[in-house]
Amino acid sequence: MASQYDRAITVFSPDGHLFQVEYAQEAVKKGSTVVGIRGTDIVVLGVEKKSVAKLQDERTVRKICALDDHVCMAFAGLTADARVVISRARVECQSHKLTVEDPVTVEYITRFIATLKQKYTQSNGRRPFGISALIVGFDDDGIPRLYQTDPSGTYHAWKANAIGRSAKTVREFLEKNYTEDAIANDSEAIKLAIRALLEVVQSGGKNIELAIIRRKQPLKMFSAKEIELQVNETGKEKEEAEKKKSKKTA
Amino acid sequence: MRRALEPQFGREGVRAVMAATFFGEVVRAPCRAGTEDEEEEEEEGRRETPEDEEVRHQLARKREVRLLGRQTKTTLEVSLLEKYPCSKFIIAIGNNAVAFLSSFIMNSGVWEEVGCAKLWNEWCRTVDTTHLSPTEAFCVFYHLKSNPSVVLCQCSCYVAEDQQYQWLEKVFGSCPRKNMQVTILTCRHVTDYKTSESTSSLHTPFLKALKTQNFREPPCCSLLEQPNIVHDLPAAVLSYCQVWKISAILYLCYTDVMKLDLITVEAFKPVLSSRSLRSLVKNIPQSTEILKKLMTTNEIQSNIYT
Repeated sequence: MASQYDRAITVFSPDGHLFQVEYAQEAVKKGSTVVGIRGTDIVVLGVEKKSVAKLQDERTVRKICALDDHVCMAFAGLTADARVVISRARVECQSHKLTVEDPVTVEYITRFIATLKQKYTQSNGRRPFGISALIVGFDDDGIPRLYQTDPSGTYHAWKANAIGRSAKTVREFLEKNYTEDAIANDSEAIKLAIRALLEVVQSGGKNIELAIIRRKQPLKMFSAKEIELQVNETGKEKEEAEKKKSKKTA
Repeated sequence: MRRALEPQFGREGVRAVMAATFFGEVVRAPCRAGTEDEEEEEEEGRRETPEDEEVRHQLARKREVRLLGRQTKTTLEVSLLEKYPCSKFIIAIGNNAVAFLSSFIMNSGVWEEVGCAKLWNEWCRTVDTTHLSPTEAFCVFYHLKSNPSVVLCQCSCYVAEDQQYQWLEKVFGSCPRKNMQVTILTCRHVTDYKTSESTSSLHTPFLKALKTQNFREPPCCSLLEQPNIVHDLPAAVLSYCQVWKISAILYLCYTDVMKLDLITVEAFKPVLSSRSLRSLVKNIPQSTEILKKLMTTNEIQSNIYT
């Protein structure tokens, strides 16, 4: 049945599916994992870095991009589609600032991106954007925000979420481990993001990229050394927790 | 009332009859009645012209499955398993299954190439069918030097429906040995998996098994439930083994990533505890390293997804 209704984006199947949109969601799963955590005073974005060819400039292969000083996003899926969406979002951020003299709220820019994606699910001759995005930032009221968009054009606020390859495994980990204690302070939130990524990233710290935004501060990208430090600390804490557990059972 | 007038041939070769309706209009109506005269007309319509015959022969030659010996690189006169009889035959079909065997089985012991199967079909990327180079050998056969009764096949190409029987005949022969055990590893996309559960509750990748009647050991994972079926070459091999009463098992990994993927390859790990593979596995940590290297070389090629 699928083969008759999955070629044109603007055609519903008899049981109500838009197959092209669902296939676009499969394209998202081909991108590497992204995890987003909303802490009390911090928002964290962690990504699994894609392996870069020897002659490729690493700086041009980025999954985390700033949309404005106080908003950033990470995506999973088709690289070229992401570039287009990010470009449009950045222009919208500046246009909004010039028009109303206020920076965009995180919800506003998320809604803009989601509306853009939805338009492409309802136009003939186009295809949906093959990306999901996690958008984080702080609004003027100082409240941290985390939103997720997907190719269908829906968006929701989350406390913590993951997209891309093995997102399910990471989300299950977050459901078990996202507690008030886990986000009690900034460093705990960062460690939670790293632990969530390490569930699915095989080669440890050197394949992780991390970015944070603190209240009233711009986006900070962690350097490789800082990430290595965090990963080692997380590893030590895990070992200590396991030793305590084995002592208790013994 | 309709009366049949004369039998005629429609475009599809279905016999149609000119019939008259009650009101006198003449219409074309299908007719299943046959007369002797029709057979001659059928033959005339079906007789091939010499050009058609030539095209058909060329196509058959192009799509022929050729089994080549290792050193001579000439076509083997007997089937592969007649020349290299084995007690264990392990076949990996698809890039993830091939990567699994390369990393976990072929990293220990010395494996010697004994032959390769070359074929062409519409899915192949090469255009020149007569001069396929050695690097384009799609199905490669190896045996373990220290124990030549273990034969392994790595098949990275798609074997079309019309080529599957040729492949089976050239590999197994027309009268295969019954006292061997065949293990087949392959992958399929999880969207092909039919289940009454919600697909969001499935933990991909996961392994399912399907075995022949003569396979007595317990499988390393749960059996494939109905109405799911196996397709393509794995299905052909398993059916062949069932018909010839050979002990065979197929391990099918349902995954949501069909390209070479670390997690999908690692999903085959439970198979390492099976009797046929247990003795061949030596160094698992080294295998994981080899697998990671394979992944990185492969990932770097593509920039489409980030």
